Amino acid sequence: MGADVGDDAGRDDAGRDGTGAAAPLVCTEITKIFGEDLGAAEALLAEGASRQDVQERTGCLVAVRDVTFSVERGEIFVVMGLSGSGKSTLIRCLSRLIEPTSGTVEIDGTPIGDLDDEGLRELRRSRLSMVFQHFGLFPHRKVIDNVAFGLEIQGAAKADRYRRALQVLEVVGLQDWIDHFPQQLSGGMQQRVGLARALCVEPEILFFDEPFSALDPLIRRDMQDELLSLQAGMRRTLVFITHDFHEALKLGDRIAIMKDGEFVQVGTPEQIVSAPADEYVREFTEDAPKTKVITVGSVMRPVDGETPAGEPVSLTAVLDDVLPQLLASPEALCVADDQGEVVGTVDRDRVAALLGEGSRAGAAPGDGPLEPR
Amino acid sequence: MTTAAPPAGPPPAASTIEARLALDRQRRLRSGGGLAIGAAVLVAVQIALSSLGGFPESLVIPLSDWIDDARRWVIDNQTSHWSFSFFFNPVSDSIDWGLRAVEGFLLWLPWYVVAGATAMIATAVLRLRAGLLAAVGVLYFGAIGLWEESLQTVALMTVAVAIAVAIGVPVGIASARYDRLQQSLRPLLDAMQTLPAFVYLIPVVLLFGVARVPAIIATVVYALPPVIRLTSLGIRAVPAVTVEAAEMFGATPRQTLRKVQFPLAMPSVLTGINQTIMMALSIVVIAALIGAGGLGQVVLVSLRGLFVGRALEAGLAIVVLAVIMDRVTHGAAGIGGRRRLRLMPDALAHVGPVRSVEGTLSAVDRLLLRAGSLLAEPLSRKLDMAAVERHPRKVLGAALLAVGTVIGAAIGRSDFPAGISFSFAPAIDWLVDWVRDNLYEIGGTWVGTGWFSDSITIYAVTPLRELFSAELAWPVVVLAVALAGWRLGGVPLAAFCTACAAGLGFLGMWELSMDTLAQVIVAVAMAILCGIPLGVLAARNDRFERMLKPVLDFLQTIPSFVLLVPVIIMFNVGRIPGIIASVLYALPAATRLTNLGIRQVEGEATEASRAFGATRGQTLRKVQLPLAAPSIIAGINQTVMLVLAMVVIAGLVGGGGLGLETVKGLRRTDSVGSGFVAGLAIVLLAMLLDRLLQAWTRRFTPVESGP
Repeated sequence: MGADVGDDAGRDDAGRDGTGAAAPLVCTEITKIFGEDLGAAEALLAEGASRQDVQERTGCLVAVRDVTFSVERGEIFVVMGLSGSGKSTLIRCLSRLIEPTSGTVEIDGTPIGDLDDEGLRELRRSRLSMVFQHFGLFPHRKVIDNVAFGLEIQGAAKADRYRRALQVLEVVGLQDWIDHFPQQLSGGMQQRVGLARALCVEPEILFFDEPFSALDPLIRRDMQDELLSLQAGMRRTLVFITHDFHEALKLGDRIAIMKDGEFVQVGTPEQIVSAPADEYVREFTEDAPKTKVITVGSVMRPVDGETPAGEPVSLTAVLDDVLPQLLASPEALCVADDQGEVVGTVDRDRVAALLGEGSRAGAAPGDGPLEPR
Repeated sequence: MTTAAPPAGPPPAASTIEARLALDRQRRLRSGGGLAIGAAVLVAVQIALSSLGGFPESLVIPLSDWIDDARRWVIDNQTSHWSFSFFFNPVSDSIDWGLRAVEGFLLWLPWYVVAGATAMIATAVLRLRAGLLAAVGVLYFGAIGLWEESLQTVALMTVAVAIAVAIGVPVGIASARYDRLQQSLRPLLDAMQTLPAFVYLIPVVLLFGVARVPAIIATVVYALPPVIRLTSLGIRAVPAVTVEAAEMFGATPRQTLRKVQFPLAMPSVLTGINQTIMMALSIVVIAALIGAGGLGQVVLVSLRGLFVGRALEAGLAIVVLAVIMDRVTHGAAGIGGRRRLRLMPDALAHVGPVRSVEGTLSAVDRLLLRAGSLLAEPLSRKLDMAAVERHPRKVLGAALLAVGTVIGAAIGRSDFPAGISFSFAPAIDWLVDWVRDNLYEIGGTWVGTGWFSDSITIYAVTPLRELFSAELAWPVVVLAVALAGWRLGGVPLAAFCTACAAGLGFLGMWELSMDTLAQVIVAVAMAILCGIPLGVLAARNDRFERMLKPVLDFLQTIPSFVLLVPVIIMFNVGRIPGIIASVLYALPAATRLTNLGIRQVEGEATEASRAFGATRGQTLRKVQLPLAAPSIIAGINQTVMLVLAMVVIAGLVGGGGLGLETVKGLRRTDSVGSGFVAGLAIVLLAMLLDRLLQAWTRRFTPVESGP
């Protein structure tokens, strides 16, 4: 069932491709099995055997199973899952740091499985970059030489690569630390170096493997904000792995929830919070900050005839933004779309119903359950 | 406990406890019974075969004759056969050429340039004090009249270590990359480190004869393992994510190695080189047996003539060389960190006179720095190398040395001046006589070194040797070894042990092997009896540990042969000094690993034991010692191997046994065969003991995921 959801999402994305430029990253039915007897394991999977079955009968570990998705240009695609769900393996398959057992990864339309070593290196040098969970910095190199590493590998002249590295270090605010060694820096600063190192080569696609999970909560929040503001300026394609649902909601344009090597659900934060695909996903959403995710549009009552007076709120605003107005007004607020046309109304009861739903497991008070958008 | 018991209460609980106790008794009986049965079998076999005694001549394989034939063939064909003209001789010639070049250069340099360069290097990587001490050490070589011999040894070391590094680093890199290579290398390296250095000499002599080149080759073979191991280890220790990051940026395998893995492995590689140097130095004397010359030769010849004082002078020169090389390579391995130009200990920094001395020093340093910069700036412009400008001190140092060399060459005075000389040999020789006269029997009583060594001989070594080689029928010894192997490692180990033990007989080395074995057992017993209590004490008393550490360091740094000299001063020649030297040589391993093992026991476990009101003795017995057992057993394992290595060497000073037989083979061409066979017997004995001990150690290694 989980695989179906993933497939649907994949097809959905593929459909969208027709309208614009091809998605920079398209993954089709990626499977990664660790172990000796891969043939037997694959055959069992084809018969629909469960992950546990395969493990028991062949001793092979199915880390990633039939994962299909694509990422749009400028999008942040978050893969969220608990430890052991296969997300780290998945992200390594995308750059062939781990060779997938089957399935294809296309970057700008080129299947990377077909590349030889040289081609793969060229791809990694020019288009991809990665930020690692434990930073993966080179302890024997100064900050600036860490950041300039990618360019050095490409054979750039020292002056050029230092100039560029300094630019990027300024962006992450570390221009005063260039002559330090990584271990002399705090965790947050080290990961800024990791980020700068990844950005230095101006990659099209950036992979983030739980980059902030080793940082303490306040620093983590700063880094998330910084990443978002960076992304607002550069609009690169990001694949971001995390085990933190809140982080996924905050950063993701779309989120894939991963469990036991499969995608359980793929959707926007709002879709996932308002319509969890199954009990597993619902558990995550339970203490999610819904008001920061759900938009006015999804809880409004469509306009029927008369439109109430008053200052309209935006269709795309999240509930958090309109709560003060909502609480201050006993009447329903009117909702306007981008063109300023009033399309519906929203009132306190509807929002209260939604917020109550999570904690009281569906026993929604007020005027009936909400239909998801 | 009572709350956990089922309602039925006491009867079942009591019966289960009874059952448990009974089971325990049974188990103890069974293991005791096993031992008893084993002993009974051995006794029965002994009674049945009591007339057999030592290994029968008729069963001996005439391997030594075959070896002699082979040696003769080598001598006859050295000029004609292709393997010599295209492989062995070119290898030999190029090594010889390299050695001559290095030696010639070192001896051509004026003595003060050698001393100055050593001081500068030591100052650069360590500190000024070390530099001055190093210079004093170098002057010592000349002062005792062994300038030439010392530089010969340095040249030999340089060439041997250069070859070892040139082979070891690439092999280490390859074995880090290819698991299969690593797996196939491991037993080889293990064997190389297990075997006493002696063993390498004979095959080398077979192929290359007795000269300096075979000495270098034997040294290279002996010293190679650490650099291979530690290069591989260092590269493998680079975190996977770091390598992954490099790959993610599209680095080629070569770029990853050059820019990430190797630099990160560098401290480990340098540690490996340091160990390689130390191992090479440790067999300087042994290599002299096959013609290495230099300081080793002086030690050897002096010892043979019982010129103990001279032997100690030359031995001390080897120690000085070892310490300088050890400290300098250690300093070079410690990357980073600024070195200050300080002469006195930091603790005295605030004392007036010290401060003025240091002030003067730093003023001089600033002056030197300015002079260096004056020299370096135009030089760097001329060479177009910016790097030169950043090292004004090195430029200045090199310039000074060059000027010194030119002056020396111009006035033709490069030999060490005869005017600077001193010797403490007469004092030592006097001490030897005094010890013999006064300590052998102190004050006319029976107490003294004579009594000590006599009682060890009479009550331990001789009876054991007699027991093994004459009184026990040889099948009993083999069977005992086999049973031990079976108990520790099942049938495969039993088969291996049987083969090794019987092999000693088939080689015709039964009696000599039993002689060596008896010495090993006595020395190991003494080393353990002293070493483990010392380790326990050190673990429980920080001040004692601090006092013990330099002593152990010293015992581990000095080459095994040099250790013999002071022991000979005390105990004269014979088997006992060999045993005592072995004990001293092996003691640090037992002590260190016991101390380490106990100290590694988690604080929490010890704390928990104390919280239950255990006394210090109880905590030690019930918590610390059991938890430290793996480490202690490993210490015993090392002790046995070190003792074996030393006992073999002690054959040279009257220890007899396999060592002496090997040396005879090296000295006289007509007995190369029996020397080779004796060497092989050492290998068998070493492997036998090593495997048994390894199996024993494994039994104590905690099982993973066990309770």
